[in-house]
Amino acid sequence: MGVLFSYFKSLIGTREMRILILGLDGAGKTTILYRLQVGEVVTTIPTIGFNVEQVTYKNLKFQVWDLGGQTSIRPYWRCYYSNTDAIIYVVDSADKERIGISKDELVPMLREEELADAILVVLANKQDIPGCMSLKEVHQALGLDALKNRTFQIFKTSAIKGEGLDNAMEWLANALKNRK
Amino acid sequence: MTDSKYFTTTKKGEIFELKSELNNDKKEKKKEAVKKVIASMTVGKDVSALFPDVVNCMQTDNLELKKLVYLYLMNYAKSQPDMAIMAVNTFVKDLPTSQLVKDCEDPNPLIRALAVRTMGCIRVDKITEYLCEPLRKCLKDEDPYVRKTAAVCVAKLYDISSGLVEDQGFLEQLKELLSDSNPMVVANAVAALSEINESSPTGQPLVELTTNTINKLLTALNECTEWGQVFILDSLSNYTPRDEREAQSICERITPRLAHANAAVVLSAVKVLIKMMEILAGDTEFCNTLSKKLAPPLVTLLSSEPEVQYVALRNINLIVQKKPDILKHEMKVFFVKYNDPIYVKLEKLDIMIRLASQVNIAQVLSELKEYATEVDVDFVRKAVRAIGRCAIKVEPSAERCVATLLDLIQTKVNYVVQEAIVVIKDIFRKYPNKYESIISTLCENLDTLDEPEARASMVWIIGEYAERIDNADELLDSFLEGFADENAQVQLQLLTAVVKLFLKRPQHTQGLVQHVLSLATQDSDNPDLRDRGFIYWRLLSTDPAAAKEVVLAHKPLISEETDLLEPTLLDELICHISSLASVYHKPPTAFVEGRSAGIRKSLPARQGSADDATTTQEATVIPNQESLIGDLLSMDLGAPAPVVPAPAVQPASNVDLLGGGLDVLLGGPDLTGGATPSTTGLLGDIFGIPSTPAMYTPPKACWLPAEKGKGLEVYGTFSRKAGQMYMDMTFTNKAMQAMTGFAIQFNKNSFGIAPASPLSIPQLQPGQSLEYSLALSTTGPVQRMEPLTTLQVAVKNNVDVFYYACQIPMQIIFTEDGTLDKRVFLTTWRDIPSANEVQYTINDVKGTTDSISNKMTLNNIFTIAKRNVEGQDMLYQSLKLTNNIWVLLELKLQPGVSTATLSLKSRSVEVAPYVFQAYDSIVKS
Repeated sequence: MGVLFSYFKSLIGTREMRILILGLDGAGKTTILYRLQVGEVVTTIPTIGFNVEQVTYKNLKFQVWDLGGQTSIRPYWRCYYSNTDAIIYVVDSADKERIGISKDELVPMLREEELADAILVVLANKQDIPGCMSLKEVHQALGLDALKNRTFQIFKTSAIKGEGLDNAMEWLANALKNRK
Repeated sequence: MTDSKYFTTTKKGEIFELKSELNNDKKEKKKEAVKKVIASMTVGKDVSALFPDVVNCMQTDNLELKKLVYLYLMNYAKSQPDMAIMAVNTFVKDLPTSQLVKDCEDPNPLIRALAVRTMGCIRVDKITEYLCEPLRKCLKDEDPYVRKTAAVCVAKLYDISSGLVEDQGFLEQLKELLSDSNPMVVANAVAALSEINESSPTGQPLVELTTNTINKLLTALNECTEWGQVFILDSLSNYTPRDEREAQSICERITPRLAHANAAVVLSAVKVLIKMMEILAGDTEFCNTLSKKLAPPLVTLLSSEPEVQYVALRNINLIVQKKPDILKHEMKVFFVKYNDPIYVKLEKLDIMIRLASQVNIAQVLSELKEYATEVDVDFVRKAVRAIGRCAIKVEPSAERCVATLLDLIQTKVNYVVQEAIVVIKDIFRKYPNKYESIISTLCENLDTLDEPEARASMVWIIGEYAERIDNADELLDSFLEGFADENAQVQLQLLTAVVKLFLKRPQHTQGLVQHVLSLATQDSDNPDLRDRGFIYWRLLSTDPAAAKEVVLAHKPLISEETDLLEPTLLDELICHISSLASVYHKPPTAFVEGRSAGIRKSLPARQGSADDATTTQEATVIPNQESLIGDLLSMDLGAPAPVVPAPAVQPASNVDLLGGGLDVLLGGPDLTGGATPSTTGLLGDIFGIPSTPAMYTPPKACWLPAEKGKGLEVYGTFSRKAGQMYMDMTFTNKAMQAMTGFAIQFNKNSFGIAPASPLSIPQLQPGQSLEYSLALSTTGPVQRMEPLTTLQVAVKNNVDVFYYACQIPMQIIFTEDGTLDKRVFLTTWRDIPSANEVQYTINDVKGTTDSISNKMTLNNIFTIAKRNVEGQDMLYQSLKLTNNIWVLLELKLQPGVSTATLSLKSRSVEVAPYVFQAYDSIVKS
C-alpha cells in the first residue's frame, strides 16, 4: 500500500524539492549544478551571489540553489535555509589545508533549527586529482562520525569526469521519497 | 525551551506573511507577493527585512517579475549593502558576459539595460570589481539603449571608486562613445563625462574635449532629444576653443538651438554663446549680430508660465549684468503685468533698473510711478526704491526721478512716504547740494514715519542739512523725547545728527547736545551707542575744531551700483546659467552638500590670439606628483592675468643634470642675447636701466668654494630688474691655468627657472675675476623641490663639472603685475579658507609705514589698501609668483614698535615661509 501511495505521489507530486549546494569557494558547486542540469562541464567563474536551476532527476523535480562559497558570502547562506529539503555539501578533497575550515562551516550549519529535517549529502569532490584525500579521510576530517539524528551519506565524486554524481543523486532521490 | 523563544521570531504579521508568499512555489503567487512588497515600499513601509527573499526571486525569465525585483533592489541596496552582493551573479547572467551557459545572456536588450542600470545603483565597494567586466561589455553592446545606460553607469561607478574607473580604462571607452552613431548614446556619454570631470579630485578635468570630439558633439546635437541637447550644450560650455575661428564656428552651429521650444535648451545655448563671445573679440560684426540674436529667445522665455519665467528672469538678471547690450532695447517686456506673481514682479523690477538708461528713463519712470500706486505693499515699496535707484544710476534724469518721488510723497500714503525718504537720503548722498529744496516737503511728513529705517534716514537728513532747516533743533528735540524707545539705528543717527547740529549752530544747541550725550553714554546699554557717544564727547571737549573736521568731513559719493554681483562671482555664475546656481545667484559650492570645491568654473580670459592663450596656460600649470598641487591649481581669480612675456629661449635640452648631458650645451656656444659678460659691477649701466632705487638683492654668497671647484670659485646672488630675473655671479679663477669652455645648467626646480641663454664666458685667466649676469626664464621644466626654493646648478668648464645648490630668494619671482583690485582682494581674502592663513612676526622693523610700503612696492609687493586701526597701521598687500600663485598679506605695523605682524593667505600656503623670509630681508634691507 505504502509503495503504491508513494508511486502515485511521485506521479502527481508536483512539489519541487528545494536543495542547497554549499561548500567552500572553489569546491566545484557550480560545476556540479550545471553537470546535473545540462549534463556537461561548463567553464565557471566564482559565484558572487547564487545560481538557481531546475533539475529533474527520476521524475523528481529539484530546485537547486548553488550559493557562492567565498568568505564574504558564507554568512548569507542562512538566508536560504528555510524550507530546505536537502543539503549537498561539496568538499574539495585535494584541499587538505582548508578541510578544517570546511568542517567549521558545516558543523554550526547542521545545528540550525531550520535545517533540522534536511537530508545531508556530502560530496568528496575532485577525486580525479592525484594525491587527494580518500573518502574515509574526508569523513573523518569533517567529523561526520559525531552526526546523530541525521539522514546522511558521503560520496566520492569528480564533477569534471561526471563520476559519482549519479550515485549520489540516486541515493538522494530515494531518501527524499522515503522520507514522505 | 526557554522564554527566549518569545523574542526570536515574529511568526505573525504582514512581513511574515509576505515572506512565506515570496517563498511560495507557484510563480504567480510569487509575483503577486513581490507586487505587494513593492506596493508597501512605495507607500513608505520598511520592507527591507525581506531583502533575501526578494533577491531569491530575481532569477527568473519573467520580465515583469524581474523589473519589480530590480526596482526593489535599487531602493534597498543602500540600506542592505552586504546583502546586495547576493544579486551580483544575476546581473552577470543577465549581461552578455557569463561564459557559464551560453544562452544565459539575455537576448532582450531591455533586460540587459535594466541589469546594468540596477547594477550601478548598488553602491557597495566590495562588488565594484565584479561589475567591471559586464560594464565593459555593455559599453560595446549592439543595442544603443544598453550602451546609453552603461555610459551613465560609468559615472555612477566613478562616484564609488574613481580609481577603478581610471584603471579599467572606462574613461577611454566613454570617450569612444562620444563618436557613437546614436545621438542618444553620445548625449549620455557626454553627460557622464562632465559629471566625472566635475567630481575629479584633482580639480583638473580628467577628460579634455578635443576639437574632433567637439565636432562630433555638434553633429549629434541636431539629432538627439531635447534633454540630450541640454547635456551636450552644457559640456560645450566647459570647452575652451583653440582660437577665434573655432569659437565662431561653434557659435554658428549652436545658434539654431535658440529657437528650440524647450526653455532648458535655449538657456544652455545662451550660456555657451555668452561664453564663446567672451573669447571672441568684443566689437566685431559677428559678435554684434550674435548679441542681437540672443535677445528674442530670452524674450520668448518670458511668455511661458510664471515658474519658468522666474527662472528665466533670474538668468536674465545675470546676463544683463554681464552684457547689458543684449537686452537694452527690450525694456518693455520686463514691464510688470497686473497678474504676475509677486516673485516675478520683483525680479522684473530689478531687471528694469539694471536696464534703465537715459534713452528709456521716461518710460521706466512712468511705469514705476504706476507701480507705486498698486495695492501690494511689498511691491510698492520696491517700486519706490527702484525710482531712487534709477535716480542714482541715470544721472541726467535724476531730477525727473526726484520729481516723481515728490509726487509720491504728496500721496501721503504712509509706506510710500517712508520708502521715498529712505531713497531720497541716498539721492542726497549722490548729488549733494542739488535737491535740498525738497527738504521742507520732507519735514512736513515727519509725524507719519514709524519705521526705523525711514526715521533714521530722516534724522540723518536733518542733521546733514541742519544749517538750512530753521527749526532743526526743535525737530531733533522732538525725536529725543522718545530716545530710549527708538531702534538702535535711529538712536545712532540721532546722536550724530545732534552733534552735527551743534557743530553747525553752537549758539542754542548746547543743552541739546549735552542731553543726547548723557542719554547715549549713561542711559543706554548699547555698546555701539555708548562708544560713539564717548568719542563725540571727548572730541568736543578737547578740540571742537578737530571734531568739526571729523564729524562734518566731506563724504565720498556713494557708488552707482551697490547691488551688482562681484565680478568674479558673476563670471562664475554665468558659467552656471540654467542651473540652480544661476537661480540662487550663489556658486554651487555654497549649497550643494558634499561637493568638493574642486573645479570652479570661470569665464575664459579674453584672448587676443591663440599664442597668447598657450603661453598663459603653460605658465599656469605646474605638473607635479604631489597632491598639494591640487591646491595650487584651484587658485581662482577669475581670468588669469597675462604673464610677463619671458624671453622664449628654451634651454637647449631637458637633460637631467646628473645625466651629465652638459655637452649638449657646448654644441652651440653662439650668443643668443640676453646675457652679456661684464667685468664691472655696475650692471644697471650695462643694461641701460635708469638708476632708480632697485629691488633688494641679497649679498653674494659663496656658492662654490675654490677647493671644491678645483680652483674655480663662484660667488652669486639673484636679482630682478625690469621684470627680468638674473643670476649674478662672480667667477674667480684661483687655479694656475686658464679655464675655458664654461657652461651652466639647472636641475628641474619648483618654479621652472632655467637659463634664458647659455653661459658665455670665453676664457678665465689665472687670478682673473669676472662678473657675470645670467638672464633667467621661468619656462623650464618644473619639479617640486624640498625646500621649495632650492635650485641645483651645474657649472662645467674644461676642468670638470661642478654641482652646487643655492636658494632662490623668493622676491625675485614676484611679478610686476601682482596688484589686485580692492574688491577682488577682499573677495579672494574671504574665499580662502582660514586654514590657509599663516601668521608671522617680523622683528627689528625700521622705518615708517610709508617707507616700508615703498620698499615693498620696489620688490613687487603691492599695497592694495592702508588702514589705521587703533594706532596700528594695517597694510593690505598682494603679490603674484611667476607661476601665477597669488599671495595676499596683511601687515600690521605699530609706530615706535619694532615688531610687525604679518598674516598671509594663499591657496598654496606652502610658499608662506619663503614669502616671510623675503619680507624679513626686504624690511631689514
